[in-house]
Amino acid sequence: MSEKLAILWPEIILFLGTCVVMILGLSPRIEARKACAAVAAIAIVLAGIVGSLAPSGGSALLPELMNYSKGLIAIIGLLLLLLATGTVDRAEERAIAAGQRTFDPLRATRGEFYAFFLFSLTGLMLCASADDLIWLFLALELTSLPTYVMVAISTRGTRSQEAGVKYFFLGALGAAIFLYGFALLYGGTGTTNLTEMHAYFAANGLNPIATAGLVISIVGIGFKIAAVPMHFYTADVYQGAAASVSAFLAFVPKTAGFLAILAIVAAPGWAYGTSGESLPPELRVTLWVIAALTMTVGNTLALMQTSIKRILAYSSIAHTGYMLVGVIAGPGDGSFTQNGVAAVLFYLLTYGVLNLGAFAIVACLEHDRGDTTEPDEADHIDDLKGLCRTKPVMGWVIVISSLGLLGLPPLLGFFGKVPLFTSGIAAGEIALVLVLAINSAIAAFYYLRLVNAALLSDPDPKGETLRETPLPLRRVAAVVATGGVIVLTIAAGGLMTAAEQAGTYAPMTHDEAERYLEAAGRASQAAELPEAP
Amino acid sequence: MTPTTLANVDLVSYLPLGLIITMAVGFAVANVVLTLIIGPKREGKTKGIAYESGMNPVGTARKRFNVRFYLIAMVFLVFDVEVVFLYPWAATFPNIAPGSPDGLMWLIRILFFLFTTVIAYIYGYRKGVFKFD
Repeated sequence: MSEKLAILWPEIILFLGTCVVMILGLSPRIEARKACAAVAAIAIVLAGIVGSLAPSGGSALLPELMNYSKGLIAIIGLLLLLLATGTVDRAEERAIAAGQRTFDPLRATRGEFYAFFLFSLTGLMLCASADDLIWLFLALELTSLPTYVMVAISTRGTRSQEAGVKYFFLGALGAAIFLYGFALLYGGTGTTNLTEMHAYFAANGLNPIATAGLVISIVGIGFKIAAVPMHFYTADVYQGAAASVSAFLAFVPKTAGFLAILAIVAAPGWAYGTSGESLPPELRVTLWVIAALTMTVGNTLALMQTSIKRILAYSSIAHTGYMLVGVIAGPGDGSFTQNGVAAVLFYLLTYGVLNLGAFAIVACLEHDRGDTTEPDEADHIDDLKGLCRTKPVMGWVIVISSLGLLGLPPLLGFFGKVPLFTSGIAAGEIALVLVLAINSAIAAFYYLRLVNAALLSDPDPKGETLRETPLPLRRVAAVVATGGVIVLTIAAGGLMTAAEQAGTYAPMTHDEAERYLEAAGRASQAAELPEAP
Repeated sequence: MTPTTLANVDLVSYLPLGLIITMAVGFAVANVVLTLIIGPKREGKTKGIAYESGMNPVGTARKRFNVRFYLIAMVFLVFDVEVVFLYPWAATFPNIAPGSPDGLMWLIRILFFLFTTVIAYIYGYRKGVFKFD
């Protein structure tokens, strides 16, 4: 058990940070309350360093996944934290600073907000090192449960409360579905350990109960990654929450879901069957249908939106569909262009940076409604009109992020999408790659609408209340994310190597699996059958 | 299989149980008797009505509770769950071979767990859960 502890230090650091932040947020002294974000940032940086340098561990099937994922989580998590500054308690703190009110711990939510932020990242890091279904379930729920509260407290309006309740109930439904799938997997294989499960599948093949468990688990985890048919909450929740929290939702639960899906799909594996080079057909068909529908539904619905957050919500659904192509393609021969797992891991990084830049524009622009109320977020697409002329920095943030999400060649999104195509083709999924290509073309329409509004349109005459947020760290997050798009494009080679290594898949052969089961005290089922008379 | 008769049962092994029952009954009786002897006796209308956890026993059930009622209940729950986890830990701890490194690890683990509940308590305290004014 102690060897498990060695890979858990990042999570322990994050948890200790959570404890400090939770107490600091309730301090009557403003300096202590302001230190919350700094403590959270230090915890994330330390966890990222420890996590990426730690000895590799976690799942034996995807042995290199953990370090890459934890580094990735820390980088994007830090940017998300910068973006999340000032999400809660702004009007309250202003009133206290003006002497209109004294500090009331029951009204303050700053400590809770950052504590939940760190809790969710802790869960996400735990997902990266999961090698057991129980561990995986707890990690997924630790990722999701804090986000329900973060959505509800992110603004003072009733809209975010509605979004929080909606998110909570649908999240509970999703959790119930994949927990049911996990239970069936245990029933079908007699183990919750994913490595042992893999050995069982390699030695004995799938049985109907385990197959049902796999399919139900993946559909349930579809809630976390916002895949059809569990995508209905996405637009409403992202719109109801503050933009900084929406950016969090679009990355953190999605990454957790993809890490979980990779861990579960790796159990039967991409080297299943006698030919040894494909997913089990039932699993492939399920993922295929989900991927194709998710891309198409996401892109089609995004065409009709006028709210930027809704456009980005549907775009995040579409990106889920793109990444599922990599999950279907599998590790191939292990080289970067053919490794679908590496493609997914690299895409999570590019998507995380680009998506953050796009959501940052909503978090950074607001309509001034006077000092008495909270400023409204500038969420309508008309708010972007002429932004490159009136507020050039913000304008270019949305232009570069949109073009990046679209996958325009010189930018990062392109390098993210190419391996999805090539690995799909290498795995022989030509039809699905065609769907992916058509969907990328549809996506151009709404991303270019954003670009058109910011770059080519005249400024909206009604937009005189529009201003940049007075919160400097948010603008830093927006600029760093956009700069990151360009810097990471240049550094893409090294990141691809890291992703390629992280996507290493180590399946067992039939004989190895039987030896493994024997060593674990479980002779394979075939050996237990009585000989035919 | 021979039927167990009362003569076969070693009644001495039930002695601790008997002691605890005696102590429990004795404690209750002693308290009632002591209150009767040395307690102040102030009869009144309010004191005479049925006790309903501090609520007025007659009236509408749709009353609003102070939110602190729930906060206290939550803090109680933290410690309740803590004890639920402590019990199996305490039952397993003696089985660890003395002197093995696992023992220290187990102790550190439960101390870490207790630390988290202390954090929850400090959080509740700072939030003003125990402040009634």
